[in-house]
Amino acid sequence: MKLLTHNMLTSHVKGVKNGFPLRILARKVEVRQIDFNPNFITRMIPRIDWSVLRAAAENLGHGQGLPESPPEEYESQEDFLKSAHHVLMEVEVLEGDLECPESGRKFPVTEGIPNMLLREDEV
Amino acid sequence: MSVFCNSFGARAGRLANSRSLQLFQNQARGRNHDLSRGRRRASSRGAMNVFDRTAKIRQKNRACASPDAQTYDYIRNEVASQIVDRVCDVTSVPVDGAVVDEEHCLPFSDNSFDLIMSSLSLHWVNDLPGALKEVWRVLRPDSPLVGAMFAGDTLFELRSSLQLAEMEREGGFSPHISPFVQVSDIGSLLNRAGFTITTIDTDEIQVNYPSMYEVIQDLKGMGESNCAWNRRHYIRRSTLTAAAAIYHDMFGAEENGVSATLQILYFIGWKPDHSQRGPAPRGSAGASLKDIGSHTT
Repeated sequence: MKLLTHNMLTSHVKGVKNGFPLRILARKVEVRQIDFNPNFITRMIPRIDWSVLRAAAENLGHGQGLPESPPEEYESQEDFLKSAHHVLMEVEVLEGDLECPESGRKFPVTEGIPNMLLREDEV
Repeated sequence: MSVFCNSFGARAGRLANSRSLQLFQNQARGRNHDLSRGRRRASSRGAMNVFDRTAKIRQKNRACASPDAQTYDYIRNEVASQIVDRVCDVTSVPVDGAVVDEEHCLPFSDNSFDLIMSSLSLHWVNDLPGALKEVWRVLRPDSPLVGAMFAGDTLFELRSSLQLAEMEREGGFSPHISPFVQVSDIGSLLNRAGFTITTIDTDEIQVNYPSMYEVIQDLKGMGESNCAWNRRHYIRRSTLTAAAAIYHDMFGAEENGVSATLQILYFIGWKPDHSQRGPAPRGSAGASLKDIGSHTT
């Protein structure tokens, strides 16, 4: 599960008002080399929740070098784009759990894929 | 249940520069989901409860756990490449996955995706209108849902052969093939869910097999076995033999063997946005159809 995906996932357990963001309890994290695509990163920056991304990256130990918010004119700053690319696309949680902030329900992540299926009573 | 992304065929990785969610059946290898669901009660969203989703998960897990699971992917790969064709690829983007349940709330906030693709997974959804509404919710305005589903004529040969054989051998028949969405219904389904500018087309894939048994074996290998609640859990050997004979007789292919038809319904629906052009106001037409012959190009 990349941190880009984590930035989109919310918990939909019944009764939960705000299930975002999910807390990452990682047991196995891997860094994979992904080709840098500056256009893609530039278009993604306004759509992600930067503070959540930064907190998640720090939680996984990859938060160094990330500013508190994207700088003005980030489109032209390749260093910033490269560090954003690294945390969004290259850091992957392979094993672990995602915890709902309100209900505490844990969604397991197995082989890099989070399982968001709910039981009957949680729907 | 669907897993979004993972991989499906060689063209899979190429998506537009945007957030996309692909809904399709769980293809994760050897993954055993521990779902302690009991027998499903009727969905709170509607009375439609045709498919036993727990059984479907077990069938899919079994199919994925097989060492040669990929040999059964030919239909999925073909349809997936058609879907990818319908989406404008701009560049290659690596993709990521999650297992989500289309029947209940998708675990994403409103208006978070620029594109949703669904390739051959919605035919196991009980509450299709509800699932489409959920997809509509997580789409951004002016963003499309591109999908492919099996339509009404799929596997009609298998359906008729089994039906005739059972009538002949047992004096009655039970459903062996799922009910599929009709081409005429998908338009209104999409409209009711809130999609506009819907485009629908159908494609028929005919696959040849040595006999009916191979058809059934391949369906099982794809994880597409019957999982309707009202299915019988056994079939008599004599019925099966009779059905195979009828199938060969009625639907034999040119060379040896039999053919199976898969009717795929491709659809695209857009979430409305004020930037989309609506119909022109009444009375604003500048030319008349009567003058068509007089215009020379």
